[in-house]
Amino acid sequence: MRTEIENKKFNIVGKPVIRQDAYSKVTGKAKFADDYKFEGQLFGVMVRTKASHAVIKSIDYSQIRNEDGIKAIITSDDIPGNKKVGQIKIDQPVFCSEKIITSGDVVAMLVGEDQTELKKLSHKIKIELEKLPVLEDPQKALEQNAVLIHPESKTNLITHYPLIKGNVTKGFNNSDYLIEQNYTTQFVEHAYIEPECVTALPGEGMIKVKIIGSIQNPFTTRKVVASVLNCSLSEVEIIQAELGGSFGGKDDIMNVLSARAAVAALKLNKPVKIKYEREESILESYKRHPYIMNYKVGFSKAGKLKAMKIDLLADGGAYASMSPFVTWRSVVQATGPYEIENVQTDVKVVYTNNPYTGAMRGFGSPQPIFAIESIMDEIAITVGKTPFEIRKINGYRQNSVTASGQKLAGHEVTLPRVLKKAADVSSFNSKWKSNYASSQKLKQNNFADKSESLILTKNEFINPKNLLRKGIGLATSFRGCSLGAEGIDNTAAYVSIQPDGTVYILSGLAENGQGLRATFSIIAAEIFGIPIEKIIYLEQNTSRIPDSGPTVASRATLMGGGAIKNTCTELRNRLINVLSSYWKVSRKNIYVFKNGLVFPEQKKSRKIKFHDLIKLAFEHKVNLSHVGWYAGPKVHWEEKTGHGSAYFTYVYGCQVAEVTVNVGTGEVFVNNIWAVHDSGKVINILGAVGQVYGGTTQGAGYGLWENISTHKGKIRELNFDQFLIPTSKDIDKIHPYFIEGKESYGPWGAKSLGEPTLELTAAAIANAITNATGQRFFNLPLNIEEVLLRKKLYPESLKRGSAS
Amino acid sequence: MIPVKEILLPKSVDEICRLLQNNNGTSKIIAGGTDIVPGFHIESPRFTNIERLIDINNIEELKFISINNDVISIGSAVTFSEIISNQILNEKLPLLVKASKTIGSAQIRNRATLGGNFINNAPCADSVAPLLVYDAEIKIKSFTSEKIMKLQDFLVKPYGTRLKHNEIVTQVMIPISSGKLKGDFYKLGRRRAVSISRISLAVLLDLSEGIINELRIASGAVTPIGTRFYDVEQFAKGKVMNDESMKEIAIKLGERILDVSGVRWSSEYKIPVVQQMCYQLLKKVKC
Repeated sequence: MRTEIENKKFNIVGKPVIRQDAYSKVTGKAKFADDYKFEGQLFGVMVRTKASHAVIKSIDYSQIRNEDGIKAIITSDDIPGNKKVGQIKIDQPVFCSEKIITSGDVVAMLVGEDQTELKKLSHKIKIELEKLPVLEDPQKALEQNAVLIHPESKTNLITHYPLIKGNVTKGFNNSDYLIEQNYTTQFVEHAYIEPECVTALPGEGMIKVKIIGSIQNPFTTRKVVASVLNCSLSEVEIIQAELGGSFGGKDDIMNVLSARAAVAALKLNKPVKIKYEREESILESYKRHPYIMNYKVGFSKAGKLKAMKIDLLADGGAYASMSPFVTWRSVVQATGPYEIENVQTDVKVVYTNNPYTGAMRGFGSPQPIFAIESIMDEIAITVGKTPFEIRKINGYRQNSVTASGQKLAGHEVTLPRVLKKAADVSSFNSKWKSNYASSQKLKQNNFADKSESLILTKNEFINPKNLLRKGIGLATSFRGCSLGAEGIDNTAAYVSIQPDGTVYILSGLAENGQGLRATFSIIAAEIFGIPIEKIIYLEQNTSRIPDSGPTVASRATLMGGGAIKNTCTELRNRLINVLSSYWKVSRKNIYVFKNGLVFPEQKKSRKIKFHDLIKLAFEHKVNLSHVGWYAGPKVHWEEKTGHGSAYFTYVYGCQVAEVTVNVGTGEVFVNNIWAVHDSGKVINILGAVGQVYGGTTQGAGYGLWENISTHKGKIRELNFDQFLIPTSKDIDKIHPYFIEGKESYGPWGAKSLGEPTLELTAAAIANAITNATGQRFFNLPLNIEEVLLRKKLYPESLKRGSAS
Repeated sequence: MIPVKEILLPKSVDEICRLLQNNNGTSKIIAGGTDIVPGFHIESPRFTNIERLIDINNIEELKFISINNDVISIGSAVTFSEIISNQILNEKLPLLVKASKTIGSAQIRNRATLGGNFINNAPCADSVAPLLVYDAEIKIKSFTSEKIMKLQDFLVKPYGTRLKHNEIVTQVMIPISSGKLKGDFYKLGRRRAVSISRISLAVLLDLSEGIINELRIASGAVTPIGTRFYDVEQFAKGKVMNDESMKEIAIKLGERILDVSGVRWSSEYKIPVVQQMCYQLLKKVKC
């Protein structure tokens, strides 16, 4: 029997499909977590201290204990199970009882009917603290006398990943040139537009607790809640509400909030809701890791890379969270998509008293990409080549070997195609050369070193015709798809054809706003040859579908789509069986499912409507429901040497940014972004361009504006007046292009796109700014002060504008 | 947390004045609410004692734009969207329109009012610098009196004005002669929309045969409140308008701002940049 439709024209795959949830979202009908309201519902309000690092000596609730507004004060003592949680290291208390180690830490939760009143009462609690030194600088975390954030782990080191390929010393000796540079990146907030919200309800029947919330990974949440409640996984039911953005951010924090709500709901036998405002969200939720990076490269006169030594230090903040996985992706991808004989990489991540850091779109890639793509441009300039040429010389091609010794085979290594396309559509080479020439000329006259005085000298005024400078910059990357060698990689799907020919589908992965439901519905509609309106996507509920791991790592289309395709194909085969015996046409024929009809390709005169075929199958007592599976192939990693086949396949991307820099004010305007991505087969072109628009905009935000800074461990930017994300007016044109490289995994070779779109933009913009100004910048974000003064400026006080 | 117990909807300015008669600060006029409502949420001490809001959104007397003889009058409850779409203002007061376009977002401009902007008197209020160079005056009413004051004199300190608890600003008046001067406005924000000014600058210039007859210059965000720089204007008066003098004017402005503001955390950036912006604006206005 053959059911291959790979080489046929697609019915719907690759076409623009409006997602089914679009109308309910734009008309306000979609139900987000806070739209669920329950009778007798109470609110949980957090109690925090003013410290970033302190021993809790005592907490005195006597001022509020007898207040009518308080139904319960929930603390660590109320937890029946594990008092600490964590996905890799169990180091994060649900409620702090001994120590405060970061400013977002929570010591208790007040439960009552009125959130506003509870907030007022929370200020009356007397907390006696003994302050400890605050460790803010990750570079000091491993010093001998550094204060230990988690004394029980005996070191502030969370993880260290080494990688050695060849011999860098030899490589440097054989090089014509050496360049060494330091780069830094900042904390970044996910800035999902919907802040955290979750409700826990006392369960009915054999379910102990039911949780409805803005949850990225319902199965992870279930595991955490079960561990805190000391109950079985099956007793916890997690239902995902519509999610108002996540970007990797509604994982750990939602697990902890769900656990807090669950403990309270069971204690009081009432629904308990936790609902954060923006300040609280930014205060407690985890961030993207800041990195401090040192790159040393050796290369020949011809621009061929000979050796690269990389030291990356990530700030893990107060809790390990996903740090070990985030930094593992960094060790795999730190060299960028370049074949180098000799590589030595060390990636370390450490505890500090800063906000904790975890998963965020990009996941350990945007930081090293900023560094490597900056230094590649410097190499190009050193040897007199263009950024395009230097990448062409060193970039991966078919069968290249990565730093970890993995041969890039089994999929099409499209980097050369991607790179060429990006350069062609943006006219990169000619623009870059002409901008470079004028920036070199003007550098002599106008972008001169500034005097110490705040008052300008007459020669520091800029001729208006030299004020606005154009620049173009390019960045490329390779990215391992899905979880890689550190995770268990498989997914489930449930498909059930109803007697009238409509189809229920559900995946074990979760809709996070990325449009997974539309993608999966397209896959099912394609295989059954029916309109997408006949596919009904079911509610996400951990009791209804097998655990499929987290919805992360741009793995939904690849892994979840693979499972949907496998499952639908299994049912389709059952239908073909029915048909071939009914028609007495050999099963070896190719059956076509198209436009609601099914027919053998060779004998088009024989036709049956899809819903008649379903009727027939039901009459023949055929099971038209199936739970299918898609498992990733084997991958492995040697932690001591950094060797292995890290990921089973990769995607390639190249982005070009064109900017205008006002060299008098430091303002940067993004005129154009050309984004060329090989994400494998595109399933929904509308969803794909949406990913590019969103990802590049978020990437531009990372490059130019977004910044969470701390003062003695406390966050300055607690709302969107200070944490600036780009608006639609800040980027002019975004031009997406897709190259569909050959791939054997995923549905028809569809792979990953969500994170690749984000990881390149900041680096491309930084290179464009250099092209415009002749100056290179090493510390993200490249905001107005950085571009003009090469530093960040912060107010002395944490007080905000009119509040003071 | 909104402390308000009562929201009143008067139908006329007289009724507002009556309501304000014995106000001890617990009643507050609200128009667009784009400063007050977020102020409630951050529990700004400026608003914590407010018990009564007097909503003036439906009062037509405060929502007019008119031109007669030599004065353009704008009701204090006119929104920035209304300013932007008004033909007269586009023609006569381009700096005010340009500044209005840079305020917040479309949604904020639909609610925020001209009066609210300078009565709140944030250092970064974007309409203030243009109003100052246009020599704007305001009309203030109470139950028993009515007076006219220069906007310059009305603004006292950050978030502070001469407005008394029993008073309301009803309109802004700009001499039409101001509109005849050539000028420009520049707002420097960290991004292009929903952006709080880091620096704003408004310049008006009257040149005759290459000599500066009159220069008017005002800044926002770089001084504690929007400020007109009369001494810089005096310095410029009578000078030949050339590259050299424009640089001198810009330097003079930098020195004055440094005098007024002192060295702050942001000075290292703002002081050089405001001079650069001033020079660039003068260059642009001159052509």
